[in-house]
Amino acid sequence: MERVRSFSARVAQVEMAVAAVLALAIAALILVNVITRSIGQSVYWVDEAAIAAMVWMSFLGSSAAIHYRTSVAVTILPDMLGNAGRAGMQRFADLVILGFAIFLAWVTIQWFDPINLVATEFSLSDFSGSTFNFIYEEQTTTLGIRKFWLWLIVPIFCLTISLHAVVNLLTPPGNDPAALPSD
Amino acid sequence: MVPAAFFLLLLASVPIALVLALTAAIYIGWSGNTLLFQSFPQQLYGGLEKYGLLAIPLFMLVGELMNEGGITKRLIALASIFVGSLKGGLAYINLVANMFMASIIGSTNAQIAVMGHVMVPEMERRGYNREFAAAVTAAGGLMAPIIPPSMLFVIYGVLAQISIGDMFIAGILPGLLMGALFIGVVALMGFFYEYPRGDRMSRQEAWRALLGALPSLSIPVVIIGGIAAGIATPTESAALAAVAAIVVGASVHREFRLSQVPAMMTRLVANSATVLFLVATANVFGWIVVYEKVPQTIAAYMQSLTNDPFVFLLLLNLLLLVVGCVIDAIAALILIVPIVLPIAVASYGIDPFHFGVVICLNLVLGLLTPPVGTGLFVAASVSGCKATDIVKPLTPFLLATTLVIVLLAWQPALTTLFIQ
Repeated sequence: MERVRSFSARVAQVEMAVAAVLALAIAALILVNVITRSIGQSVYWVDEAAIAAMVWMSFLGSSAAIHYRTSVAVTILPDMLGNAGRAGMQRFADLVILGFAIFLAWVTIQWFDPINLVATEFSLSDFSGSTFNFIYEEQTTTLGIRKFWLWLIVPIFCLTISLHAVVNLLTPPGNDPAALPSD
Repeated sequence: MVPAAFFLLLLASVPIALVLALTAAIYIGWSGNTLLFQSFPQQLYGGLEKYGLLAIPLFMLVGELMNEGGITKRLIALASIFVGSLKGGLAYINLVANMFMASIIGSTNAQIAVMGHVMVPEMERRGYNREFAAAVTAAGGLMAPIIPPSMLFVIYGVLAQISIGDMFIAGILPGLLMGALFIGVVALMGFFYEYPRGDRMSRQEAWRALLGALPSLSIPVVIIGGIAAGIATPTESAALAAVAAIVVGASVHREFRLSQVPAMMTRLVANSATVLFLVATANVFGWIVVYEKVPQTIAAYMQSLTNDPFVFLLLLNLLLLVVGCVIDAIAALILIVPIVLPIAVASYGIDPFHFGVVICLNLVLGLLTPPVGTGLFVAASVSGCKATDIVKPLTPFLLATTLVIVLLAWQPALTTLFIQ
């Protein structure tokens, strides 16, 4: 169990580190946009890249927030309860988070539909022809790559929040995961 | 069944973002329209694919950089030139400095945290009551999301699909009005609290404070000037302001260090991811709300009550005051706007900018009211007071804010005057 717990902590650290780099990338990309436009040399893909960086940063940061238990929640009821009640409610919330992770994984598997992708031997035209699902053929507007590369953050998010939720659920009350590195 | 699940999850302290997503999922399952499940993850991702949202991490970055670069204390010194010599000088300094800060920071909680650390101990040291000091600081924070830039206005602009730059401009007069009223409140409270005397600055000191603060003032100038002159979008002006904050903090004040960057970025990611993920899940929630024709149902009911836009706004404000007391402002805004904006614009002919300022200010008020007033708790934890003890000295400021809300609802020109 200890190994799983430290793996979850490690994953959260990596998520925060990658998200921080992406946050810096957003600022850099927007600045590039201002500079290149002012000299009449606009780089057309910058906006879409900055938005993709922001989406990835948000998913990674939110997953880490599950690990650190820093997501925003309404705490009127737990605040009114004693320690035992609070711990019970925490368990319930952890269980709901795990339930959400499983639900999201289920709908994401339907969306990416790996089974039919394999069944059509990775022929994208056969895949979309038989399933009417165009996920693997949709192109980004300016980045020149297929959209599903960006959408991959959703299955990654499913995996990491499942891991964090399971670890939180198995962590005894009062033995919370490590605080955010800056605290 | 679906509203019951929503309230159960919310009260059980499930993260609000997941409450929104799960409510949408439960609705889809309950309605039997399971084909909608296939679009669920795409809606979640798509909720964030909006250019305007880039302003959120960037403005948070500016706030962080400003703090690390020693800009805050210089703005406080600048405020003391104007109001420092009055009796109760520090209380006025607190408010005026908060107005300066509001033109850089866009979030109430962030501003209360920053100003609380500096102002509350200083006011207490000079003989002010600690609860009063915390209350003035918390009230000052109310101006953060109204005086541009504003995190709430960015989110509202994205949800309402209107210009964020114009939304910022719409907040200028209401923000100044709040500042003026708050100064009046401090003056009136002087009859009940014994304020210490202020210090008169010598001409040399004043000159030094003014010169010291000038580089810091370049930041709001970059933000507002860039947008107003049409040189930069609000998002780009935030990135430019971040550069200005680095230059001022590192080369003028010489207080910004590279070693501060990792901790700063961790805070930035934690805060912006929280807000942005809420926006993502709210997109799924809003998609279901619209699918279920909730706005039309409420619109029909509201129109049976009144046809007058002002009365509609007052009724809505009453409802939002209750909502703001139990749900955080950003989450409430995300929940409410898709439902009520179509009603306000289509059925009552209310200008979307006017509407945005009114509801944002209303929801911000909820940040300082128990039981879910996050701003109140930030003020309490920073100052070391009990939240309940701050409420009493804070009440006059909350009443003044309510007065501003009613004035704004009554006179749309206060918000739309400068918008072309």
